[in-house]
Amino acid sequence: MSSLSLSGVSKRYGDAVALSDVSLTVEDGEFFTLVGPSGCGKTTTLRTIAGFETPTEGTVAFGGEAMGTTPPEERSVGVVFQQYALFPHLSVGENIAYGLQFTDHPDPDARVGELLDLVGLDGFRDREPGELSGGQQQRVALARALAPEPDVLLLDEPMSALDARLRQRLRREVRAIQRDLGVTTVYVTHDQAEALAVSDRVAVFSDGKLEQVGTPQAVYRNPETRFVAEFVGENNVFEGEIRDGEFSIGDERVPVDAPDGPATVCLRPDSLSVGAGEYALTGTVTDAEFLGSSVRVALAWENRELTVQTETVPAVGDRLTVAFDHTDLVVVG
Amino acid sequence: MPSNRVAAPLAGVATAALLVVMFYYPVGSVLAEAVTDGGVTLAPIRGVLADDFYTGALADAIRSPASIPAGLAGWLLASASDIASALAGLVGALVSPFETGLRSWPGAVLAGIGGVLGALAGVVPGFGLFGFTAWQALLSTVASLALGLPGAYVLARFEFPGRRTLESLTAVPFVLPSIMVAVGFVAAFGVNGPLNRALAALGLPTVELLFSLEIIIIAHAFYNAPLVTRIVAAAWESVDARAVETARSLGASPARAFRDVVVPQLLPAVATGALLTFIFTFMSFPIVLALGGLEYATVEVWLYNRVGQLDIQEAAVLAVLETVVSLGLTYAYLRYEAATSRGDRVSSPLDRDPLVRFDAKRVALAGYGVVVAGVFLLPIVSMLAASVTSPEGLTLRYYRFLLERGAEATSAQVSPTLAVRNSLLFGAGTLLLAVPMGVLLALASTREGRLARAVGVLSMAPFAVSGVVVGLGLLQTLVFGTTVLGHRIVVGGPLAIVAAHAVGAYPFVVRNVAPLLAGLDRRLVESARALGATRNRALLDIELPLVAPGIAAGAAFAFAISIGEFDSTVLLASASGSDTSLYTMPVAVERFLGKQTLGRPTAMGSVLLAVTAGAFIVIDRVGGRYRE
Repeated sequence: MSSLSLSGVSKRYGDAVALSDVSLTVEDGEFFTLVGPSGCGKTTTLRTIAGFETPTEGTVAFGGEAMGTTPPEERSVGVVFQQYALFPHLSVGENIAYGLQFTDHPDPDARVGELLDLVGLDGFRDREPGELSGGQQQRVALARALAPEPDVLLLDEPMSALDARLRQRLRREVRAIQRDLGVTTVYVTHDQAEALAVSDRVAVFSDGKLEQVGTPQAVYRNPETRFVAEFVGENNVFEGEIRDGEFSIGDERVPVDAPDGPATVCLRPDSLSVGAGEYALTGTVTDAEFLGSSVRVALAWENRELTVQTETVPAVGDRLTVAFDHTDLVVVG
Repeated sequence: MPSNRVAAPLAGVATAALLVVMFYYPVGSVLAEAVTDGGVTLAPIRGVLADDFYTGALADAIRSPASIPAGLAGWLLASASDIASALAGLVGALVSPFETGLRSWPGAVLAGIGGVLGALAGVVPGFGLFGFTAWQALLSTVASLALGLPGAYVLARFEFPGRRTLESLTAVPFVLPSIMVAVGFVAAFGVNGPLNRALAALGLPTVELLFSLEIIIIAHAFYNAPLVTRIVAAAWESVDARAVETARSLGASPARAFRDVVVPQLLPAVATGALLTFIFTFMSFPIVLALGGLEYATVEVWLYNRVGQLDIQEAAVLAVLETVVSLGLTYAYLRYEAATSRGDRVSSPLDRDPLVRFDAKRVALAGYGVVVAGVFLLPIVSMLAASVTSPEGLTLRYYRFLLERGAEATSAQVSPTLAVRNSLLFGAGTLLLAVPMGVLLALASTREGRLARAVGVLSMAPFAVSGVVVGLGLLQTLVFGTTVLGHRIVVGGPLAIVAAHAVGAYPFVVRNVAPLLAGLDRRLVESARALGATRNRALLDIELPLVAPGIAAGAAFAFAISIGEFDSTVLLASASGSDTSLYTMPVAVERFLGKQTLGRPTAMGSVLLAVTAGAFIVIDRVGGRYRE
């Protein structure tokens, strides 16, 4: 059953278009991620789902029921924000219990205990939010949002204020809790790597429009637009034309499995490596970044820059030849 | 839950309606009075503008614009020679020790300086009552800047014990009743005051300062210099040390870096302080009334006098003209403030130097400290001293008088106990009215949208309308009675006084609450709503508890303003002639001040000081708590 759906949702502020014609469906129990650069509309989408914003056009439906102007308090959502937004004048326990007073939960006290246990904060019930670390505050915010057992959990960049290591750990914890409870979750992030790592499905946004929805693998392997190809992972994008089933890259004519006509194709840096391959490109090294397990090399080639991957660090100014196979080439769209 | 969704708008409508009844309608009726004489006419306004008494040299120009150039030329010639001869006199006084010896030198120099100032004042052709009002406001502004700017320098650039206390004390004038300040000045600078006794003890001639322009200006500086200090010190503290360091690293000397980096950031604050001081002193009432009398009357004092003479239309014209000036200046101030406010927090302010050390700069600052003590402490201390001093020595009889006069007082005599009781009652009434109004308006002004902004601006209008005009408006409409939809409505004097106080007080509630509300993360409310709370529930559970310190500070302000309010109260309380049953403490102080001894007014003034000091402590303790 679809737990949550948006159809034809647009949001305008005066002349500014924040969202245009967004339609998507989130399945029951799914971990669904909205990803895109800042200002792409992902947060507006989340706020529209929560009821903080009313769409200019289109409808948001929960379990098939159109929400219209239903206020947030009547939508059964739980929200966790980037800056936690814990109530500073209430204790940790009171924060978690806040939403329970609007439900008919028989034993709020016990429920608060359960949630403290769930997020690993036993013994923090009487602390003030200000005494907690960022990670602990985020756990409290998650517990508070989950306490009234919402139908949909909405997470708005909840980890981005934390440092990288803690972010990764907390991300896995959140995912484990979500799987455990089976709560439908919409997660907003600007970090495409994070989106690929945790999601059942990903929706990529750009400039207020939905670019592509799919599993992380599908979005990564078969980008449907140039934006997705370049935003999700790194990519070298070539614009050109397919003629007689072949696409030209430099002097190489590479067979592709697509109809003739104008086309956008892409090659991941990890497919462009030093060594044997069906086709080869030669350019001049302009920069090399040592990343540990590999080296990211910027290569000047035919008036543009390619990003390729090597194992050893080349000197800037060296000529470098990289090879690829025709199976590495992905046609966008 | 429809009732929940209409509750807030309903409260907003009620507040707006109260504002209309308590402020816009009464003030509007005063303004309308100025342009109606049977029908709508500009004759009364033209009459005042073309009257020598009101506009002096301008009156000629308004009557016959053709005479302007000739008049201007003659004036330039005459004033140049006056100033030149006065300067010559001062130079003569400065070199006088060579002829007459050192003993009479200070007196001669003071006389010389006085001569120059007198000549400067004398060349101004006199623009009548309005000219004088603007002139004293200008002088007061200059004096406030002179007295306030060094203070900003000390507070912003030096570290010393008590700096924070001193910094928060600069907010005191907001709550200090001006009539009390006037009493303090009478006590300090009167014929038998400590200043003259000190001069006499040193064998110097005594000075007659009361009922002079000088004392008005010094009292205005007492009131407004702390404001200048506060605004400029805040700007100075927000100068980013890294900007100065960058200028230095690029080759600027310390003085050059100060001129290029610091000064441009201070100038807007100085201008803001000057503009506010000018507005306040242009409308100043009790200080001028008590320290200047009718001889040094300003527009506001004369307006009060006209009401007393029942010349309501002339009073109304004066109210219109005064309000036009002050609204214009307030508008300029708001525009300027909006254009220059930055509001971002500075991560690295300039380092402070220790104050206690010995060098020329610090000796000069010590001199400044002596002046500050003279202007600020002397009046307060003198008032307290005079309240416990009788010709026979120390006494508590004036305080006893405050307690005892209640019982046997007849309505024609001023009863101090009744005044204290009235003040407390009106103060409580003001709290009941001003705090909810202020909180609601603060809520409205922090909401998005054009309507909300309009509400924010309109609700600040009482800042720009003088208390006497508000009092007059309330008197004319609610107290004398008005007819609405066929019903005759008459509001009793006490209610009208509370309304006037609430009008003066609620902007302070707004000012204290709105910044805290605006500073709240909107996601707090959104979190509460996602958890199931309605908008109003989130307001009660989340927003109000978090802005409680601001509400408390606003309430303390409101109470202090009510306790000290004089301008509209004196009109409303003395509306029924000799009946003194509505007198408040400030009105009683003013009435006592005319009598022979200083004991009674200073005792009452000291009680006022105690009450407002208590309010100030509340403001200072709770006001800034959540701001960090």
